[in-house]
Amino acid sequence: MARMFQVDIVTPEAVVWSGEAELVTARTTEGDIGVLADHQPTMAALSTGAVKVVHADGVTIAGIHGGFLQIYRNQVTLLTDRAEITEGTVEDARRTAVELREAEAEAEEPEPAV
Amino acid sequence: MASAEVRQIRRRIKSVESTMKITRAMELIATARIGKAQQRVAQNKPYTEKMNDVIRNIGAATGSLSHPLLEQREIHNVGVLVVTSDRGLAGGYNSSVIRLAEHAVAAHQAAGRNVRLYTVGAKALGYFRYRKYQISHHWLSVTDTPTYSDARSLANIVLDEYASGRVDAVEAYTTEYVSALTQLAEKWPVLPIEPPEAADGTVDVAVGYEFEPSAEEILGRLLPRYLEGTMFGMLLEASASEHAARRRAMKAATENAEELTRLLTREANQARQAEITTEISEIVGGAEALSHG
Repeated sequence: MARMFQVDIVTPEAVVWSGEAELVTARTTEGDIGVLADHQPTMAALSTGAVKVVHADGVTIAGIHGGFLQIYRNQVTLLTDRAEITEGTVEDARRTAVELREAEAEAEEPEPAV
Repeated sequence: MASAEVRQIRRRIKSVESTMKITRAMELIATARIGKAQQRVAQNKPYTEKMNDVIRNIGAATGSLSHPLLEQREIHNVGVLVVTSDRGLAGGYNSSVIRLAEHAVAAHQAAGRNVRLYTVGAKALGYFRYRKYQISHHWLSVTDTPTYSDARSLANIVLDEYASGRVDAVEAYTTEYVSALTQLAEKWPVLPIEPPEAADGTVDVAVGYEFEPSAEEILGRLLPRYLEGTMFGMLLEASASEHAARRRAMKAATENAEELTRLLTREANQARQAEITTEISEIVGGAEALSHG
């Protein structure tokens, strides 16, 4: 059994996922990052993509759009504007993430009335 | 046959009762919505806390935070954001926050600063427009159930105003949700951003963070998000406060209506009794007159 660490995926609306995991992969602006227990303290900016969390009950995959990743003392926190847990493969999650980005772009389009 | 007086009182009772039905329904609706609004405030808390955490950690890791959004400028132009509801019937909810904001605007002007006014909600818009204030931006139908994109729209406008130098500081006047019974109209500093203060023991300065990309760039991306987050939290609290204030106002109105119905019913009974007494004495008087005749 691999060593576990705490993972939280948090959006302004809710805590999307929280629990113990053995592996987390995410896409940062600099490239993909894989996190195991005792990872170096890191702060990274997330881009649009999939987050994969491997935990005791299996694998949870979420599409996320933007945000930040903080690794600190075996606590991994993903702060993101939008996140959605998806069924299926990482590819599906990526598509979801792109949809989230498009939904956001659409929501922003109408200029506030002046 | 009821007399004119009794009929009139009965009509008033009916009118009070139908008003009471409305206020009671509004009270129930507000009660249901407070729960939901409160829940949203609670669900927003973890995000805000983690965000504060990240900013504190960057500050600790880099020694000091420096970014245009954090710089205190000399204030010549100040942005004032007033958060109210779209609908009334919420007791003193709107008037107390509007009063607070208007005083602040007057104080700024007295100190020789220009004020740019932003309003959320129809109530603030109506109030300030009627008094011929210049309103730079306004938002409507936001506070009933605020969404994150509402918060983002607020943050974007305010950031743009600040970045372009049209304002040197922004403060918000909004209502803090203390409890179901207490809501406080108060001032929230918005810009420049005041970084969250480090609580003792939460930040480990010795930790060597790895930043991807650089710490400055992360901070630059983080601060606008932070502002959106605070705006969202502010709107959620204002919304919870609005529903709580409305519930209290409607509860008081329902109770007043109940009291009024009770008084009116008593009055109607008295009038009817007086009528019956008069009728009886008339009949008795008539019979007496006949038997003596």
